[in-house]
Amino acid sequence: MTTNKLQDLLDRKQKIELGGGEARIQKQHDKGKLTARERLQLLFDQDTFVEIDAFIKHRCTYFGMEKKEAPAEGVVTGYGQVEGRLVYAYAQDFTVIGGSLGEMHAQKIWKVLDNALKVGAPVVGINDSGGARIQEGVNSLYGYGGIFYRNTMASGVIPQISVIMGPCAGGAVYSPALNDFIMMVDKTSKMFITGPKVIETVTGEKVSGEALGGAMAHNQISGVATFIADNDQAAIAETRRLLSFLPSNNTETAPGCETGDDPNRVIPELNTFIPDNPNKPYNMHELISMIVDNGDFMEYQPYYAANMITCFARMGGRSVGILANQPKVLAGCLDINASDKAARFVRTCDAFNVPLLTLVDVPGFLPGTAQEYGGIIRHGAKLLYAYSEATVPLVTVITRKAYGGAYIAMCSKHLGGDMVLAWPTAEIAVMGPAGAANVVFKKEIDAADDPAVAKKKMIDEYNAEFATPYKAAELGYVDDVIEPAITRQRVIDAFNMLASKREMLPPKKHGNIPV
Amino acid sequence: MKNYKVTVNGKRYEVEIEEIGGSASTPTVTRPAPASSAPPPRPAAAAPAPKAKPKAASPDNPAADGSGTPIPSPMPGNILSVNVRAGDSVTKGEVLLILEAMKMENEIMAAGDGTVTSVNVTKGATVSAGDILLVVQFN
Repeated sequence: MTTNKLQDLLDRKQKIELGGGEARIQKQHDKGKLTARERLQLLFDQDTFVEIDAFIKHRCTYFGMEKKEAPAEGVVTGYGQVEGRLVYAYAQDFTVIGGSLGEMHAQKIWKVLDNALKVGAPVVGINDSGGARIQEGVNSLYGYGGIFYRNTMASGVIPQISVIMGPCAGGAVYSPALNDFIMMVDKTSKMFITGPKVIETVTGEKVSGEALGGAMAHNQISGVATFIADNDQAAIAETRRLLSFLPSNNTETAPGCETGDDPNRVIPELNTFIPDNPNKPYNMHELISMIVDNGDFMEYQPYYAANMITCFARMGGRSVGILANQPKVLAGCLDINASDKAARFVRTCDAFNVPLLTLVDVPGFLPGTAQEYGGIIRHGAKLLYAYSEATVPLVTVITRKAYGGAYIAMCSKHLGGDMVLAWPTAEIAVMGPAGAANVVFKKEIDAADDPAVAKKKMIDEYNAEFATPYKAAELGYVDDVIEPAITRQRVIDAFNMLASKREMLPPKKHGNIPV
Repeated sequence: MKNYKVTVNGKRYEVEIEEIGGSASTPTVTRPAPASSAPPPRPAAAAPAPKAKPKAASPDNPAADGSGTPIPSPMPGNILSVNVRAGDSVTKGEVLLILEAMKMENEIMAAGDGTVTSVNVTKGATVSAGDILLVVQFN
């Protein structure tokens, strides 16, 4: 008797594990995609995945659904370990009714989010779904709404990562959008609110799914996605890597690790890194890779607003978030997209206690009607807000230009920078030499016999006097002017010194960031 | 003219249906204009007139037909130097021209291998963001 019951259990589990059956699994593989269970096996350390709610069934009786079996309700849920740390996950199973989301499918996801929030563990959501299960009507909308609500409640408490590995359309896009990170797989993933067919019917625009909502469209143009990967395997490997930079929840710090890179490593090349001509660009990526542990960093939104670099790295084994202006792209200006990207990154790191290093070489805000009409005032304000409210350790290194409002925005002392260092090549001033000379020395220049010569003289004077780090250092706005070669050492030292930083915001319901 | 047999309440009728040309008139409903509580329309903020900057491509080369990918200026600024002429072949990463903008000598580079089919700016020219600097036919 007992043996029969045991056999019955094994049979049931085996059937559920087959999902939509071998033919559909083959179809999934033919598209270059892994199945939900294969993805979870790859995500978790070997033999650590524990499935829950495998026996859940839908309750729909409309349109013949009562006869339709949906093993595991089209979504595999559970928990396991990633590098030995607890992580919750769910993976939609496209082989089961197209991974469509109904009431019970959604409730499995709710349970994952509720449990993860209770124990303070990150959630990885693997999306591969045709969308709402139409047969379930408004109940599927109820399902989505409950997910969005829980995503929002968990926001800033536990890291939430969405991995898009197939279609994710309509309302379904908003769960990823409410998460901290979105990883998309090139060619096989798509995200859009309204698809190409609807767009063509309504506006007459013809656009392919890939061009509209493919991984590159969202990584480069819309800024919706944070990362792109070549295939399922790479996306999961990158997700595991991302988790290594993050703590399990907002009360912890990310795990440190022994990287083997000497924290006191001196980098003599940095002393000559800045070009002699202050108007020549250089590659900020090179500078980052020289100062971080083993030259290893993980870039956040590498294709979006490339004038602002955002990345995770380790310094002295500690996980840090780095923001840096890229002089090679748009002269490293702050514009709408760069401000949005940077502000979001600052808040992501601050929420999860990841200290921030800001590398500054910024000539100013990008001028133009497109920027002003696009609302650079309110977008730029997000960056000021994000830095000002951040309570994690804030270390700033000004390598060259730091002008005007953009200087303030890039984690200056005035917004709460805990340790602001400058290289001797730094130019910290209210505006550039040519512009300043025109305003300050207008009378002298106009009165001179040869205005051009007089102007050049005034510019040189201004440069020598003001386009340096020393005026700011005299006032204590720069804590120290350092030899570039010891930048790594000084930054790591500052983070060590700041490790016990405690800063409290005034009690409030929540701030009102200009979103 | 079409003939149909129609059964209504068990009783059979034979009906003829004739199609009449012309458009059927649809009843139109006229509503009184609602007393508007919305603010009166304001004149839109003056949009800048598009700056047309026709600059002839150098006509001294047969390849200068202007076909290919236009490369717009990423920022408003001045052209510090032009390193290529129409007809030149370029390789990926080659610096085509230098745009001085925001206190920086920005290198405008070729995104791939190809041939320059037209150069629309000269040294010293002032350009706005979006102005076409040159056109490259990529291979």
